[in-house]
Amino acid sequence: MNTLKAAADKRGTTLINHWQCGVPVTRGPVFTRTLLFLIGLAVLALVLAAMRFFSPLGPFSSMNDAYAWGIWKTFNVMTLTALGSGPLALGIAAWVFNRQKLHVVMRTALVSGFLFYATGLFALGFDVGRPWNFYSFILPWRWNTESAMLEISICMPLYCAVFLFFEILPLLLERVYYTGNDRARAVLRKISPRIRKAYPFVIIGAYVIPLMHQSSLGGLLLLAGTKIHPIWQSPAMPLLYLIAAGLCGLAFMIFLLLIVCLRYDRSLDDDVLTELANLLSGVCFVFLAVRFIDLFWRHQLAAAFAFDSMSLLFLMETAMILTPAVALRFKRVRETPRALLNMGALACLGGMFYRFIPTSIAYKPAFSTRYFPSTPELLMAVGYVALGTVLFVLAVNYFAVLPGEAAEWDHTFRLIPWPRFRGKSILAVATPAVTAPITAREGGI
Amino acid sequence: MSVLLNRRQAFKVMIGLGGAAASAVLPDPAGAEEHPAHPIAPPDAIAMLYDSTVCTGCKACMPACNEANGLPADTLLSGGIWDMPTGLNAQTKNIIELYQEPDSDQFAFVKRQCMHCLDPACVTGCPFGSLQKSDWGAVTWNSSLCIGCRYCEVACPFEVPKFQWDSWNPKVVKCEFCYDQRLKKGMEPACTAACPTGAVIFGKRDDLLTKAKDRIAASPDKYFEKRVYGEHEAGGTQVLYLSSVAFDKLGLPKLGTTSLGHYATKVTSKIYKYLSGPILMAGVLGFFIKRNWDRHESERPTHEQKTGFPDQL
Repeated sequence: MNTLKAAADKRGTTLINHWQCGVPVTRGPVFTRTLLFLIGLAVLALVLAAMRFFSPLGPFSSMNDAYAWGIWKTFNVMTLTALGSGPLALGIAAWVFNRQKLHVVMRTALVSGFLFYATGLFALGFDVGRPWNFYSFILPWRWNTESAMLEISICMPLYCAVFLFFEILPLLLERVYYTGNDRARAVLRKISPRIRKAYPFVIIGAYVIPLMHQSSLGGLLLLAGTKIHPIWQSPAMPLLYLIAAGLCGLAFMIFLLLIVCLRYDRSLDDDVLTELANLLSGVCFVFLAVRFIDLFWRHQLAAAFAFDSMSLLFLMETAMILTPAVALRFKRVRETPRALLNMGALACLGGMFYRFIPTSIAYKPAFSTRYFPSTPELLMAVGYVALGTVLFVLAVNYFAVLPGEAAEWDHTFRLIPWPRFRGKSILAVATPAVTAPITAREGGI
Repeated sequence: MSVLLNRRQAFKVMIGLGGAAASAVLPDPAGAEEHPAHPIAPPDAIAMLYDSTVCTGCKACMPACNEANGLPADTLLSGGIWDMPTGLNAQTKNIIELYQEPDSDQFAFVKRQCMHCLDPACVTGCPFGSLQKSDWGAVTWNSSLCIGCRYCEVACPFEVPKFQWDSWNPKVVKCEFCYDQRLKKGMEPACTAACPTGAVIFGKRDDLLTKAKDRIAASPDKYFEKRVYGEHEAGGTQVLYLSSVAFDKLGLPKLGTTSLGHYATKVTSKIYKYLSGPILMAGVLGFFIKRNWDRHESERPTHEQKTGFPDQL
C-alpha cells in the first residue's frame, strides 16, 4: 500500500524524464517474504535438478517418444529466451539505429536477458540425455554445420557466457570500483579503458550471434515438417521467430520497467517509454505483416480463419499482438503507464504464444500420445524462472541496474551480506562503502 | 590519433580473417546439391522391399532382429513370457503390426522399422553427426557423438528413433540395417534373412524398385494406388512398401515428395555458406555501431561534465 500511495502523484499524466543513469535500490528490505518464497521455489528446482543428474529422464518427466521435447526446451528455452532478447532488440535500437536515450535502460535489459538465457541453458543442461558428449562443441570437425541444433547448442552458451557477460561486466566492476580499496580502484582504472576500446567490437558479436540463434530456434521446427499444423509450419518460421524475439524483448522491457518502477517507487521516464512503445508497435506490425503475407503465400488464410480449435488459437495469438500494435499508436495510451503496462504484457503473451504453440499445442505427430508436464517438470520450469527472478532482485539491490535520477545517488551501495566465518567476512573485497565521492574527472567504469 | 589500422582497414582484416578461418574450419557446407529436393539414390544403395500382401504375420523377423541386435524381448504386455511390443520402442527396432478394417474382416500386416531415407531428416538435424548415412545408405547411430537432444525424434517423419527414457546412459534405438552386425560382414539384415515367405526381401534399391513395379504390372488391381511407397516419399526411402490397403492406414504417413532436409536448409544453407551471411551482417552492424560509438565517446566528456558523474556502460 505504501508503494502505491507514494507513487500515486508520479504516475498518471505527470511523466517527466527521470531516467538518467543506473541507480541501485538502496532502501527497503531485500529479503522480503515474496523473495524468500521465490528462493524456496528456486532451491526446490535446484534440488530436483541435482536429483535429475543421478536419475534417467523417464521417472522425472512425462516426455515420451512422440513428444520428445518437454517444457524445459519448449518453454524455458524456446519461449523464455524471446523475453530475454531485450539486450538484442534494445541494443540494436540504441547502437545501430542510434536511439541514444535507450542506453539508460540497457542495463535492465542486459541483466534480465542474461538471466533468461542462463536459466534456459541451465534447464537445457538437465534436459539432454547424454551431456557428457557435449565436449564435441570444441571439435569443429564433428560439427554438422547444416543442423540448426548445432547452431543453437554452440551459439547460445557462447552468447550468454561471453558476449552478455562482457556487456554486464562494467556493471559488476562499477560496484567494485566504488566499494573497493585503492588498489582495486587502480587496477580497474587500467582495465576500464580497455573495456571501452573492445566494447564496440564485442557488441557486434553480441547482436549477430543472437540474430543467428533466435532465427535458428524457428529453423529447428522446419525439420518437424507435417507434424506441425500448417498455420505455423512455414519456411518463414526462422524469420518470424526472430521478429517475435524482438517483439517479446521490447514488450518485456516495457513490462519489466513499469513493474520494477512501481515496486521500487521510481519515477517514470516519458521519453524512454514512448520510444520503446513506438518501437514495439512497429515491430508488432512488421510481425503481423510477415505472418499474413506468409499465410497468404502458402494458401493457409482459409485455414487460419476456419474457426476450428487451431484457427481460434491463431486468432487469439494474432489479437494479442494486434491490440498493442494498434493501441500504442495512440499518444494517450503511450502516456498512460497502466495502459502501457497492459499492452506490454499483452504483446509479451502474444509473442510467447507464437513461440510456444508450434512446439507443443500445434505439434501433432501421427502416432500421437498425450503429453502434459509432470510435477517435477513443472516445478523445475517454474523454479528456474523463480531463480532468475531472485537473481534479478538481488542484482537490482546490489548493483546499479535500474534506471533512476543521477542526483539521487551518491555512488554508495548496499553492503552484500556475505556469509560470515568466525565473525569475519569470507571475502576481503567486501569492504565498506566509499569514503569520498568520486567525480567524473577521476573516471568511473 | 595514431592507430595501427583505421576503421575500414580493420573491417577488411576482420572479414578476411573470418572468411579464411571459416573456410579452413568448416567443411564445404550444404550447397544446393547437398540436399536436392528429390535426391537420387546412389547405384550401390541397398534396400528392403516389404510386400504386405505376401506377409503372413508370422513375426519370424522380430526375434531375428532382437537376436542380431542384442535386444531384450519386450515382455511387458505378456506378463514376462514372450516378446510382445506395442510398437517400435526402446527395445524394439523392428515390428510386425496388424491393421484390421473396422467394418469388415479385411486385414493387413505391416512391418515397421527405420525407413533409411535417401536424405534423412534425422541426419540433417543431428548436431554432432551422431546419426549418419553410412555405406550403402544405412542410417546408423554413434553413441560417442550423441548428446541426447532428441532432435532426431522430432525430425523423423516416420517417428522411428526411440529414446531410452529409463536409462541413465540413454541410447537412441532404431534399425540400423544391421550395419555393424551383418552388412559389414557381407550378410543381409537379420529380418530379411529370417523371412520365410519372402514378404520382405533385401537387394539393391534399383533392382527392388524394378521388382516392385513388375509385381504391380503383373496384378495392378491388387495394389493400393498402383505404386510403391517409399519411391518418392520424403525424397525417397531405402525401404519400399507394397500394400493392398491404404498406406496411411498401415501407419505410413502421407508425405510430400520433397526431402525434409531440402525444405529445412534451402535458405539457411545459402545464408550460412562460408558464414557469409553472419560476416556480412557483422560488417553492416559493425559500421553503424562504430559510427554511433564514436559519436557517443566524443560527446561523453561534455556529458560527464554536465552531470558530474562518469558515463555508465
